[in-house]
Order: sequence, then structure tokens, then C-alpha cells
Amino acid sequence: MKKRILFALFIISVFLVWGCYPQGPDYIEEMDVVITNHKDYDFAGKATYAMPDRIVKITGNLVEGDEPEFIPDVTAQKVLAQIDANMQSLGWQKVDVSAGPDLLLAPAAWETTTIYYYYDYWYWWYGGYYPYWGYYPYYSYSSYTTGTLIMTLNDPDMVAADGNPILQWTGAINGILTYAYDVNRVNALIDKAFDQSSYLKTN
Amino acid sequence: MKKIFIIIISSLFAVSSFSQDNLTALQYSMGFGAGNMHDFIGAASFRGFTIDYRNLVQPNIGVGVDIGWNVFYDEIPDGTYEYQNLTISGKQWRYSNEFPMLAAMDFYLKPDETINPFVGLGLGTMYSLQNTDMSAYTYEKDAWHFALRPEIGVILDVAPGMGFMVTSKYYYGFKAGDLPAQGYFTINVGFVFIP
Repeated sequence: MKKRILFALFIISVFLVWGCYPQGPDYIEEMDVVITNHKDYDFAGKATYAMPDRIVKITGNLVEGDEPEFIPDVTAQKVLAQIDANMQSLGWQKVDVSAGPDLLLAPAAWETTTIYYYYDYWYWWYGGYYPYWGYYPYYSYSSYTTGTLIMTLNDPDMVAADGNPILQWTGAINGILTYAYDVNRVNALIDKAFDQSSYLKTN
Repeated sequence: MKKIFIIIISSLFAVSSFSQDNLTALQYSMGFGAGNMHDFIGAASFRGFTIDYRNLVQPNIGVGVDIGWNVFYDEIPDGTYEYQNLTISGKQWRYSNEFPMLAAMDFYLKPDETINPFVGLGLGTMYSLQNTDMSAYTYEKDAWHFALRPEIGVILDVAPGMGFMVTSKYYYGFKAGDLPAQGYFTINVGFVFIP
């Protein structure tokens, strides 16, 4: 009898701990993440940079002739202004690309939609043999779309062996897209990308 | 490490199988990180349990096993994870699951009395699984530590064959695998069954 009680208590304990296992985010903003990476490059010895006035969307294949798409100008101008403000605070001077800048800053946007399927995966195999169980195959799905703003810095005088530019710094802001531009949310994330990249400061 | 643990446990059961008396305790466990574990998760853990089994080879000596599970959890509103030149920042959800599995020996100071304090020592292994979740990413580290565990406690003999047990343990797992040394205190309350 005592063994049964003990065993029952043990099972209850396992389920209590498992059932109370803490979960993750509750709000969309909590999924925002800022990723930066850099090469061992002498940023301090440089002074000027150039940046386009539009933000291209990473879609299709430009090499195969697809036309580039851009994010709406109203949104892009706010993002570009915030990037420039951060670059200036680190000592950089923005110049036209024709003026021979030390570095090129290329922003781009990327959307990815992830779809989750929920399915009674066992039913295909033996569900039909036990119709009295009352289960029927069903599935449903849910999805979310994440948006990523990518900022890269490369030196136009340095090219890799394959002809591609070498990214000396990459900043990526990733989060759930709501299709409502929240200036405070995005600007704060841009600021954070530069805050955690103090090595970008020029002399 | 796992082989050593199995040998130790088998040896204890071989010795203790000559005894007819034993006790089994199931306790709710609260954990408090120390050192490296506290640096990773400062919050106390209120999710955990421990199972203790002792064969009483002498009226005042029990040998057996100590198995447990403690879940530490904390949310860092603006955490940073760094690896070489890569920096990732955002809200972090940190988890640390600790699974101690120890051979244990207790010394009972007043085995024939209603209130029976005791001290004990455990030796074995502790599996640690730590996750740092950020957005859709998780960074996982784990280790099988060689572990020590001193313990103090008291058994309250409230009814024939059954009592309450209150203990405090300190688990210390030496540096192993992906992780530095991990240590945490626990306060445990529960039932003890004595056939």
C-alpha cells in the first residue's frame, strides 16, 4: 500500500514539475533579437561611408533578371535616418557613393513566413483500425512572419577571391512582423545594434 | 562517470541488502543557485523534487541513493550572448535543469526518538542541461558532473511507518563538459515512509 502511495506521489511530482515548466515569450516585442558580427578590420582608421536612399527587399533573384523590390519610402526614410544618426555618433561622415567613401553601408529587408502544421500523425497508420476511438484525421496550421533588417559594412577596395564584397560588419534585427511600423521599436533595435558595436567608432 | 555511478550504487545495494530496515522519502525541493549557477540564473527554483532511499545497515547508518530534479528559470529583459566576434542581444529565457543521481550515506543522531536529526554525504553524478532561449533560437550546454552533496536534516516520526522529513542539501558538480562547476542549495520538505 505504501509503495503504491509513494509511486503515485512520485508520478504526481514528475507531472507537477513538468506541468509547471516555465514557458517563453508572451508578447511580440519579446521575440526581437539583435545580432552583430564583425571581422578584425581597422574601422578606427576610416572616416566616411555611403548609404543608398532606399532599402531593398531580399526577394526573387536579381541575377536572373528579377526586378528589385523596395520597402515603402516612408518607412525606409525613418530607418535610414536612424542608421545615419548612429553612424554619425560613432564619428562617421556620410558622403555620396561617387565621392569614394571608405565603407559602403547596405541595408536590406527580408521577410520569412514559417508555417506550423498540427496533425494527428498517428492516424494514417492505425487510426482506421480503431474507428470506435472516435478520432478522425484532421490538421490545422498556424503561421508567423518574421522580418529582418540587415545592415552590412564593406570596404569597396577589398574583394574576396570569388569577386564578392567582404562584409566587415553585419548587423541584423530580427523580430515578428506586425505590418505596422512601430518607430520606437525599430529605432531602439537599430540603436542597440550600434551600441553593441563600439568597435565601429572612428578616430 | 556513469559506470562509476552504477558501480557505487550496486555496491551500496549489495551491502545494504542484508538489512531489513529501510526508508524512502519523497520531498518537494526548492533550489537556490550558488557561484556560476547563480550568475546564470539568480532566481530561486520552486520547481523540483527529490527521492531518497536508504537501507539502514545500522540503526544509525543508512546507505542508498539520492535522485532529484530541480528546474531553475529566469527571464533577462535585455541579455547579451557573445561568441567570438558574434553578439546576440534581446530578451533571454534561461533554463537550467539539474538531475543529481548520487550514492548517499546518512548518520542518524537519535534513531529511536520522535525527532531524529541526521547528517549525510552524497557522491555520484549530476546532469546539467542549460538553455538560453532568444527569439526562435536556443543555445544549449550540458554536462555530466562528478558531484558531491553534504546534507543535514531531521525526520519527524509522526505515525507508525510514516513521518515528515525536512532537509537541506548542497549539490556541487565539478567542471565538466560545456559547463563550469555548478552548485546549488536546496531546502526540501516531504514524507518519509519506514516499513
